[in-house]
Amino acid sequence: MSLIPFRTKRATGMEPGSLATLADFRNEMNRLFEGFFSRPLQMPGWFETAEPGQWLPSIDMSETDKQIHVRAELPGIEPKDVDVSVSEDRLVIAGEKKCEKEESGEGWTHRESHYGSFSRAIPLPEAVDPAKVTARYDKGVLTVELTKSPTSTSRKVPVLAGSTER
Amino acid sequence: MATETQTELTYRPNVDICDCGAEVLIVADVPGATPDAIDVSFDDGVLSVHAPVAARTLPGRILQQEYGIGDYRRSFKLGDGFDASLISAECRRGVLEIHVPRLAAVRPRKIAVRTA
Repeated sequence: MSLIPFRTKRATGMEPGSLATLADFRNEMNRLFEGFFSRPLQMPGWFETAEPGQWLPSIDMSETDKQIHVRAELPGIEPKDVDVSVSEDRLVIAGEKKCEKEESGEGWTHRESHYGSFSRAIPLPEAVDPAKVTARYDKGVLTVELTKSPTSTSRKVPVLAGSTER
Repeated sequence: MATETQTELTYRPNVDICDCGAEVLIVADVPGATPDAIDVSFDDGVLSVHAPVAARTLPGRILQQEYGIGDYRRSFKLGDGFDASLISAECRRGVLEIHVPRLAAVRPRKIAVRTA
């Protein structure tokens, strides 16, 4: 019967667990800006946004002839709380950062860190062998080494001269 | 977040601060910092943190780079009423926790009311 639809909480962006706090919003903007200006033309992760209540860890990625290396900053996380999964062309780093002293929720006067669950799917530049992946967590930094799949080795295609018309 | 100094690029770590009554707890994210090399000092009412980070480079061609590598530095101006001699710090899994206890005389306390 209502002619004027009510605004949903989602539409106002005030749903609990979304970018509800100013700090969340600022951190997300910082990540987008830093990602954009540091590497404007190579931004596979630029359009990724965190699900409501989640955050996205920052990553570095490099490749050699045979391997792909990914490093993520994940301070304060138990290694058992990090879940690394690999498909042929995608690496997913997920888990949860728990705040041990947050149960009471009282007394915190200043918050800048991320807490809660995170999940980031990282498209890989080449197919990798899911059986040949190692992940190591040290001093708050996760390093994942992936071995490129030999079947996906890129091939140089010779360009022939001449017309294709018959 | 990064601030340029004369010699190197340093980063300001994210911190959470908790007023826990008997102490103030400062929790700083310092991923990659070497715990043994972290320097926490207190001088003239200012608590300073310097967490050195060993240079680390990924092998091969860089495809994506979303954060920089450099030492963490941050300072906190403390008010009166803290016991500097009892400040303690510990670092685990890339997180530095600094406990700054209040002087016993200014700690919040509950006063028992006696019946007459």
